[in-house]
Amino acid sequence: MLTRSRPRLGSVGVVDPGPARNGAPGPRDDEIAQRFAAGDESALALAYQRWAGQVHGMAVRAFGPGPDAEDVTQQTFVSAWTGRAGYRPDKGPLPAWLVGVCRHKISDTWARRDKQRREAEAAASQLQAGPSPVTAGVDTAVADRMLVLDELDLLGQPQRGIIELAFFEDLTHAQIAARTGIPLGTVKSHIRRTLERLRSRLEVDGAALHA
Amino acid sequence: MQHCMPEQLALAALREPLPAEDAAHLDSCGACAAEVASLQRAVDAVAVPLLAAPGAPVEPPAHVWDAIAAATGVPAAATGVPAAADPPAGAEIVPFRARRRPLLLVAASVLVGAVVGAGAVAVLRDSDDGVDAVQTVALDPLDENDASGRAEVVVRDDGSRALEVQLTAPALDDGYYEVWLIEPSITDMVPLGIARSGTQTFELPADLDLGEFPVVDVSVEPLDGDPLHSGVSVARGQLES
Repeated sequence: MLTRSRPRLGSVGVVDPGPARNGAPGPRDDEIAQRFAAGDESALALAYQRWAGQVHGMAVRAFGPGPDAEDVTQQTFVSAWTGRAGYRPDKGPLPAWLVGVCRHKISDTWARRDKQRREAEAAASQLQAGPSPVTAGVDTAVADRMLVLDELDLLGQPQRGIIELAFFEDLTHAQIAARTGIPLGTVKSHIRRTLERLRSRLEVDGAALHA
Repeated sequence: MQHCMPEQLALAALREPLPAEDAAHLDSCGACAAEVASLQRAVDAVAVPLLAAPGAPVEPPAHVWDAIAAATGVPAAATGVPAAADPPAGAEIVPFRARRRPLLLVAASVLVGAVVGAGAVAVLRDSDDGVDAVQTVALDPLDENDASGRAEVVVRDDGSRALEVQLTAPALDDGYYEVWLIEPSITDMVPLGIARSGTQTFELPADLDLGEFPVVDVSVEPLDGDPLHSGVSVARGQLES
């Protein structure tokens, strides 16, 4: 069985930090994570220096450079800081957690845009043709996305790391086993149980949302 | 024919290719196909490029950090600086807030000597409620403003410190009051938060040296989203070190 100390379960470690990261050794990542969790204000600045590029890179890929992406990055760090009680250093690296927070913010921003678009379309089609089948409700895919991201936050390790590698890095179960050192059979059964768990969440809460 | 193992169906939901036998069965079995489809709903919700793992990093513009620092109250230490140095915990305050309106702030600094001081009184009192008030200072109106009040540094039993500000000031139609701690040269400053007429408590950063930032300043800030000091101060007092 795997213990949580396996490298790279988080998915952020994959990114080459790049040459801009300096040669001088700052505090280690896990030290920053501990200080962040403990509410040390300098750790927020350090976390930002070290990982804002990755977070912002995701935001820019989702929305292009500009205010939406900047809002996502800003909200990610603000809500990571105010919600730091929800971060447990023993459950995984801080950058992976920040990326998880960023996914929520991207998803929120996407949902807001989607809603605005639907409302605009609904208004436009009402102008043209009276009652129309277009509704301004929340799209099922948007609601599902939020529920799944929410449920991922509740997963322990290694389940979360495994499913994130499958979802977000598009690795096969064999690649995940090779990457993490977890036996193939264990990876497969974690994947199955996690997908079943996510399905239950969608059936229960998704159904409630659309009832 | 035997159904696929549940593990195989989960992999199929992730769109992994299955062994030939399983793939063939899946093609012809409604029950197994339905299981895959139901598991796939979660996969389709999040396995999208929008949420994929970080790729190439993109450095955000500097104002993003400024906004984070303003929203969290964390001093904007060491931004824009390559991540080489570990800033000393909590003690570093960069003068980014002052850059924007140096003239106004310098002009205001002349007033400090003139106006502040007379009202400053140090009060020591015994702890009867878990806090010690170590110093009280009057906040005197600047220019012809109507704002005034009192600021009190309190130390709790656990050693944490806070600034209690009692403010009497007219309501603003369009904007808000903000409380700052400023160094005597009126260059560097620490924002403590938003205030209104009445009494409020602001946490003081643990390592903040009040001797370095002794001026308690109340400003009027427009609702423009700009985290910098507006340069419009309405009341001040100076803590004695």
